[in-house]
Amino acid sequence: MIQVQGLSKSFGKVKAVQNVSFSAPDGQITGLLGPNGAGKSTTLRMLYTLLKPESGTAQVDGFDVRESPLEVQKRIGVLADARGLYPRLTSRENIRYFGRLHGMEGEALENQVDSLMTLLDMQDIADRRTEGFSTGERLKVAIARTLVHNPKNVLLDEPTNGLDVMSTRAMRQFIQRLRDEGRCVLFTSHIMQEVAALCDQIVIISRGEVAAHGSPEDLRRQTGKDNLEDAFVAAIGSEEGLQ
Amino acid sequence: MMKRIWVIFQKELTDNLRDYRSWTTGLFWALFGPLLIGGLIVMLGRNVRESIEAPLELPVSGAENAPNLIAFLEQRNVIILPAPADAEAAVIAGDINVALIIPEEYGEEFSSGETATVQLVFDSTRQSASPDIRRAEDLLEAYGNYIGLMRLSLRGVSPEVIRAVQIEEVDTATPQSQALIFISMLPYFIIFAIFNGASPVITDATAGERERGSLEPLLINPVPRGLIAVSKMLSAIPFALLNLLITLGGFAAIFRILPIEELLGIQIGFDSGALVSIFLICLPIVLLACAIQTLIASFTKTTKEAGTYLPFIGLIPSLPGIALAFLPVKPALWTMLIPTFGQQILINQFLRAEPISSMNILVSAVLTLLLSVVITFLAVRLYQGERIITG
Repeated sequence: MIQVQGLSKSFGKVKAVQNVSFSAPDGQITGLLGPNGAGKSTTLRMLYTLLKPESGTAQVDGFDVRESPLEVQKRIGVLADARGLYPRLTSRENIRYFGRLHGMEGEALENQVDSLMTLLDMQDIADRRTEGFSTGERLKVAIARTLVHNPKNVLLDEPTNGLDVMSTRAMRQFIQRLRDEGRCVLFTSHIMQEVAALCDQIVIISRGEVAAHGSPEDLRRQTGKDNLEDAFVAAIGSEEGLQ
Repeated sequence: MMKRIWVIFQKELTDNLRDYRSWTTGLFWALFGPLLIGGLIVMLGRNVRESIEAPLELPVSGAENAPNLIAFLEQRNVIILPAPADAEAAVIAGDINVALIIPEEYGEEFSSGETATVQLVFDSTRQSASPDIRRAEDLLEAYGNYIGLMRLSLRGVSPEVIRAVQIEEVDTATPQSQALIFISMLPYFIIFAIFNGASPVITDATAGERERGSLEPLLINPVPRGLIAVSKMLSAIPFALLNLLITLGGFAAIFRILPIEELLGIQIGFDSGALVSIFLICLPIVLLACAIQTLIASFTKTTKEAGTYLPFIGLIPSLPGIALAFLPVKPALWTMLIPTFGQQILINQFLRAEPISSMNILVSAVLTLLLSVVITFLAVRLYQGERIITG
């Protein structure tokens, strides 16, 4: 469960995020949709404690990101925009490292790593060093690393960026699976169709502000448009980010 | 908390040990000092021996004009050679160091009791020739004095009349002290090796982490960021220590293999006791090297950028070290207040087997450790801020 209230952040004179509020409940997929540079990643970065909000609050399972960042970090799994791996470590070692940083160890950790690798169909790359992996293979390692501590809240920053069609499909199915397991899934995307296909709830962000918020049904009703694409254009007032 | 530090430390260690090329390059720098100093000692030792023991080879033109002078020189370990036709050209060309020209009038002037003139041809700017030049000058002057005194005695005048002041030369500069100039550079090479052992690891763990895009995912884990900074710093320590050990081992080997006493005529205190003491004295520097490089590298965006800064950091301790080679500094307490400088003086004292004040050791260790702590604290602060992510 993620709750955001009046979140703002500037970099120098640039107001990256202004007064953003929304909530992302458990067992639902919430999509942050907006053109490039709209403030989606900055919002997400404040949620996963990397940046400090200037004003407003953000809570994960009731813990404030500013006051108890460690508690928040324990409860979230994050696929950040930067998803670099350690090239000299194998897939398994990369995943295991993050598990250990979450305080896991021994049998429990090894079992979890194994089951994630089975789930993501990556046994063949399990003990290879990640140097030279394809984008898809790297993403699998990054996702396994994100989920190693079995977080209740999963934050994904542009998870399908750079993936081919097959991998994108697999990624979308995976996101739905996370929802079906009862997790709170929050992801960002600039691709309207993707958000429309996946999300239970959409938050449209434009120039750092929430332009519209609700289920796809709500959005169509609010904007008075029949299809979501028109609703999106009406909400942000331009055709940026349409594909 | 210790567990998390151990997890990060262990990962950095494995990761960096697999980066075979980086840390072996670091090892090369550990051997650089011993090899350089060893080479210098061999060269210097040869020079020292040659210039003292070897007879002076002196090309002379017109030797037949001054048989007495030639006999005097030959008695004093000078080998008289025929001078080339154009002595000046030969000196300019560097074929000979010095040449003596005895003109035809010499014999006449000498017999008539006038001042007889001889010419010594040399190039005073040529360092390598200066021992030969000086020896030739001294011998000629000695001969002049000797003849002069003989003439005065013959006329019944006491030689003391013209010798109002007698200079007794007490030159404390021995070949040994020349050699010690090089020995004074040894502490710097030790410090240099420590810095270079740590830097590839630190670069990879800080700037490399950012460059790979793995810093952001790492910082999202529930580990206080200060702990991450400290762990990264600590993970470079084994590599710095390894380099320190290899450098010390290298110096010990060189001082054992080379016949130092024979080459330089001095003993260098590099027995196992001194070795252990120097190792212990350097431990605070290991910490300082890791801390300061962690701080600097954390500011940089790429490993390449870190690679341009870190060598300069390693050079800073060399500045007092180089000064030390030319301006001897007494091991006063104030020098111990300067981290790395104090240790360089202490190491020198160990090498020269001088008595060492334990107060000095304590002060230099405590100050270096204090500075390391302050710098570590700054690195922790840096990791806690947003700058570490936004750059």
